[in-house]
Amino acid sequence: MRLYDIVVLLTPDLSEEEAAKVTADYRKILTDGGAELVRDEPWGRRKLAYAIERKRDAYYHHFQVRAEPAAVAETERRLKLSDQVLRHLAVRADEELKRSAKAAERQKAKAARRPPRPVAPPASEAASEATPAERSE
Amino acid sequence: MAPMPQRGGSRDREGKTAGRKKFFVRRRKVCKFCAEKLEYVDWKDVKLLQSFIPERGKILPRRISGTCALHQRKLQTAIKRARSIALIPYVTD
Repeated sequence: MRLYDIVVLLTPDLSEEEAAKVTADYRKILTDGGAELVRDEPWGRRKLAYAIERKRDAYYHHFQVRAEPAAVAETERRLKLSDQVLRHLAVRADEELKRSAKAAERQKAKAARRPPRPVAPPASEAASEATPAERSE
Repeated sequence: MAPMPQRGGSRDREGKTAGRKKFFVRRRKVCKFCAEKLEYVDWKDVKLLQSFIPERGKILPRRISGTCALHQRKLQTAIKRARSIALIPYVTD
């Protein structure tokens, strides 16, 4: 099982309810393929940064799923075939997360290896205070 | 190719005080992602990506933004992904 981010753009020709229905279809395709939905959020109707098929806006929907590659491949194939889908993007999200977790671990290990920082300055201060005292004696 | 290593080094020492009075002391640039400890650059975060895209729609070079090489690379893929789903423009004129 891998973690994927999938964003789907639907035509603005659909009504709000129709768009919800179409996304429900894709949700079903994903879950039928054994996918487990982590996140499932509609971004609503958004303005496109540039025109796609002469359309200036679209309904965005974001899925984050834990699924087998085959399930995502099947969903992507269906997305490509549909006329209602202007565009879609499916990318793996777990590789980045794993790497960032590893980096955080490395940082922690590094911090542990180094002697605790705040202890060192007071010690040097004490030393500098001690030397004048010795000199006065 | 001899002056290559020197170039990066001299640029790092921008806040030098050796110059005359009129010399403008520039603030040292820091990688935004390193400073905020963001390991992962989210391609869905339009507001964040927008801050690295000047008017023209091009990706801000790291020579200007101060982003480190690692994060610039991540930022680059994030911007390209966001572009493909029309969150961010490829070109503006």
